[in-house]
Amino acid sequence: MSNGSRRISLDWWTVIAALAAAALIKAGLIPNVPW
Amino acid sequence: MTEAIALESTPPVGLLARLARLLPGIALLFVIGYAGKVSEQVLRRYGTAHHLALPNIEYVLWAILFGLIIANTVGVAQVFRPGIATYEVWLKSGIVLLGARFLLGDVLKLGGISLALVAIELAVAIGLMTVLGRAFKLKPKLTSLLAVGSSICGVSAIIAAQGAIEADDEDATFAIAAILALGAFGLFTYPVLGRLLHMSDHAFGVWAGLAVDNTAEAVAAGALYSDAAGKVAVLTKSTRNAMIGFVVLGYALYWAARGQAHQVANKAAFVWQKFPKFVLGFLFISLLATLGAFHKAEISSLANLSRWAFLLTFAGVGLKTDFRELRKQGVRPFVVGALAELFITIVTLGLVLGAAALFHL
Repeated sequence: MSNGSRRISLDWWTVIAALAAAALIKAGLIPNVPW
Repeated sequence: MTEAIALESTPPVGLLARLARLLPGIALLFVIGYAGKVSEQVLRRYGTAHHLALPNIEYVLWAILFGLIIANTVGVAQVFRPGIATYEVWLKSGIVLLGARFLLGDVLKLGGISLALVAIELAVAIGLMTVLGRAFKLKPKLTSLLAVGSSICGVSAIIAAQGAIEADDEDATFAIAAILALGAFGLFTYPVLGRLLHMSDHAFGVWAGLAVDNTAEAVAAGALYSDAAGKVAVLTKSTRNAMIGFVVLGYALYWAARGQAHQVANKAAFVWQKFPKFVLGFLFISLLATLGAFHKAEISSLANLSRWAFLLTFAGVGLKTDFRELRKQGVRPFVVGALAELFITIVTLGLVLGAAALFHL
């Protein structure tokens, strides 16, 4: 994150999105992801 | 890594409007990626039903091929472009999620071997590209961009370096097109060479991670070889990506000393700003998996989610590779890039075969 413009970089968005998905799977809200 | 489609945290209305602009392109990525998945299944079922020994063409290849055909024939309409640019988001999210399939001990062991090989690859790639750029009388900053792109992580590194060394947009566009085109070539040839040389999954994964420039193509090349090779390619390529800050800093200091770029006030902050944060996410998920935070079914779900993210990525790789961009600067810079890549391919192959013999990869 940069202080002045309060922008979250693409890299941090990807980490946040992936961790959120992992948390949803762990919490059982996404019980099974098929392939 | 690239900040090109960074999303602002405020205001909410602006954010929603921005997300809405991404939807057509994301839908196109999904349609092409899913068409690739269906094509793989249809060909396999047809071969089984008719008792034919058809080659197993992975969805990875289909998705990239479909994207390449569209991008280089009818072209990509403007409405799809913002969404297609998100392919890096899917790539990096997929890599973070893939961390669940690694134990941290394996990451550190393979990462350590990769780091040593990456250091040699960096020195060879930067030195070679610089010498060839001078020999072929390329513009010095274009040579710098090609050197950064071929030594580290392709498109993201070029975008990071463009701002740091204040290079022309035209040079950056060409360097990106060249790296993507060379990456596409590597994607189709490396797995064939790997099979001819009977490389193990681990050895091939390390080679793909070391030699293929753009992260998406490196992941795709590994996945085309095997699932295990894909995992190792991700790890090796991430190790290489972690070096981006140091290399871009080196070039920024070089051009600043010549009065052709801004001075770098805080070097540590500069390196941290360029550091690919998704590598930290990957390590964190890997740490959680190592500590037993996920059971088997959860790891399977995380791995499948990672595959869906890569499916969108591979469609984006094809759609972003436009061979017509290469014509704009003539054949000379492309020849330099191709010669350097050929040499890097041979050197990294030698390194990997040596490491495979030493460390039983």
